[in-house]
Amino acid sequence: MTFLSRRALEFLLTFFLAISINFFLPRMVPGDPIKLIAGNAAPQLGKERLEALRAQYGLDKPLSEQYGIYLKQLARGDLGMSYRYSGGRTVVEVLGENFRWTLLLVGTSLILALVTGSALGIWSATRRGDAVDLGLLSGVYVLRSIPPFWLAMVLIPVFAIQLRYFPVGDSYSVPRPEGWENIKDVARHAFLPIVILTLAYLPTAFVVMRAAMFGIMESDFIRTARAKGVPNVSVVMKHGLSNALLPVLTSFMVDLGQMLGGVTVIEAVFNYRGIGNMMFEAVKSRDYPLLQGGFLLFTVTILALNIITELLYPYLDPRLRRGTA
Amino acid sequence: MTTQIQVDSTPHFRALRERPFPPKRTTLRLARVVGWMGAFVLALMLVFAFFPDVAAPYDATERVALPLQKPSAENILGTNDLGQDLFSELIAGTRASLLTGLIVAVISVLVGTIVGLVSGYLGGWIDSVLMRLTDLILVLPFLPLVILISVYLGPSQRNIILVLAIFFWAGPARLIRARVLSTRTDTYIEAARALGANPLQIMAGHLWSSVRPLALVQVVLVASASILAESSLSFLGLGDPSGKSWGTMLYFARASGAFLSDAWKWWVLPTGLMITLTVLSLGLIGYSLEQRMVRST
Repeated sequence: MTFLSRRALEFLLTFFLAISINFFLPRMVPGDPIKLIAGNAAPQLGKERLEALRAQYGLDKPLSEQYGIYLKQLARGDLGMSYRYSGGRTVVEVLGENFRWTLLLVGTSLILALVTGSALGIWSATRRGDAVDLGLLSGVYVLRSIPPFWLAMVLIPVFAIQLRYFPVGDSYSVPRPEGWENIKDVARHAFLPIVILTLAYLPTAFVVMRAAMFGIMESDFIRTARAKGVPNVSVVMKHGLSNALLPVLTSFMVDLGQMLGGVTVIEAVFNYRGIGNMMFEAVKSRDYPLLQGGFLLFTVTILALNIITELLYPYLDPRLRRGTA
Repeated sequence: MTTQIQVDSTPHFRALRERPFPPKRTTLRLARVVGWMGAFVLALMLVFAFFPDVAAPYDATERVALPLQKPSAENILGTNDLGQDLFSELIAGTRASLLTGLIVAVISVLVGTIVGLVSGYLGGWIDSVLMRLTDLILVLPFLPLVILISVYLGPSQRNIILVLAIFFWAGPARLIRARVLSTRTDTYIEAARALGANPLQIMAGHLWSSVRPLALVQVVLVASASILAESSLSFLGLGDPSGKSWGTMLYFARASGAFLSDAWKWWVLPTGLMITLTVLSLGLIGYSLEQRMVRST
């Protein structure tokens, strides 16, 4: 219990630091934040309008008071208004609309990458040093060197434009089809982005699994199992894999922060309606509240995934069950 | 976020880190061959970076023909939306991409090494604070935060270097700390301490020489990661728009719709291949160094 509450505290601390970054970043950079908010329009607005804007955003108050207001708004789930949608749309609305698409892409490709990457990693580890291992390893090295967004820029002209297998851009067709056709339509739009993201996440899963299995396959209990005459498949899958799962998941989660954000560029290339593409559009229109909201949502997602994995640990490793139950 | 403590206390991880069984001889020979291949490609890229005139037929910032031309005898990869020679641009882009990668790598590994040495050797609250900080940096969504910071700082190559270095020191710091933890109780360190060496001498002298191979590998690997990250950022339009880098080339290729027409074959394809080749060469050098390190320990 103490372990869990300590972890919970750490997650809370991380979350708190992330929202603080959100607050202090725009106020730390040199220059007047109101000029950032007003953007290119600042010179035309005149002094009075600027002061009015300043008061509207509470920027005339001392920093500590501003921080308090910011935290209070955040606690109410208020992330401010987006600049881009002049009709007055809240950041939370825009995020909620886009998030499911990012979740679809990231969720599917993370699972696909974990499964295929791990399977290849195990295969590689059991054939250490021979042609299969070196072949897979060099494949992964090449894959890791390819910029995923560039791969998208090469696959789109071939598969979407010339061969017309897949639609170009967006996450659904604009008069949305009904029922089953709708699911097929969404799947067709998501296919290429998911392929590319899976290929982007796969090397990490492969490398981590391969390294973990190397260590395990050389331990004494594996030798004992082999000596007992346990069939090879059972040695690898039961004795080896069940011991590798926990360290693999742990290392995979460490890299999550670096990996997950990669969806931003991919969505931008495909013009896919997710948080990433929304952030890309927000960069162009300098929509700071939207950018900060996007960053916050990514952070929360990563923290949530981390918490879920930690809760899975006792199921993966019986040694941890006594400690937490 | 997932803690170092857990990773360290799992026996499999200890096995992983120390790798008790040396790689086979054939693997080592192969590692040496691919290492030299990587070094050759990297050397070629360095020549392009510092002496672009060797390969580039034109000045990449000069307008030499009509815009958006197909490949021809004069412009072997055609021209971009401004009428600049794409092949020359490709060569000129080497400098920004490669230098960004190398500068970021040197800065981050330097910071990471110092943090790792201090944290691992001194321990205590300094260690806790520094490790919480690295955990925080590793858990934050890399690209979204980098986008956020870059937007506030404004698009320029210097800011990209700064932002990437803020992130990339954490990984090396963690690895170096782990290595320090496993060597700090070695007899020669204790002997040095018994002889009255101060912590600074031990860290800068003894411990540094034991983590140096690891730090070298990290420079190479961080450089390759930075080149990839730089290309993503420039591609999103966060790089210096007037500077020539592979990422900005792809940005303009996308902006002018090159990948929706036939132009992707001579504009998009070679540019990405240059990135892949450079990143791969660094990866191969890193792999080769890693294998040598495993054998010598």
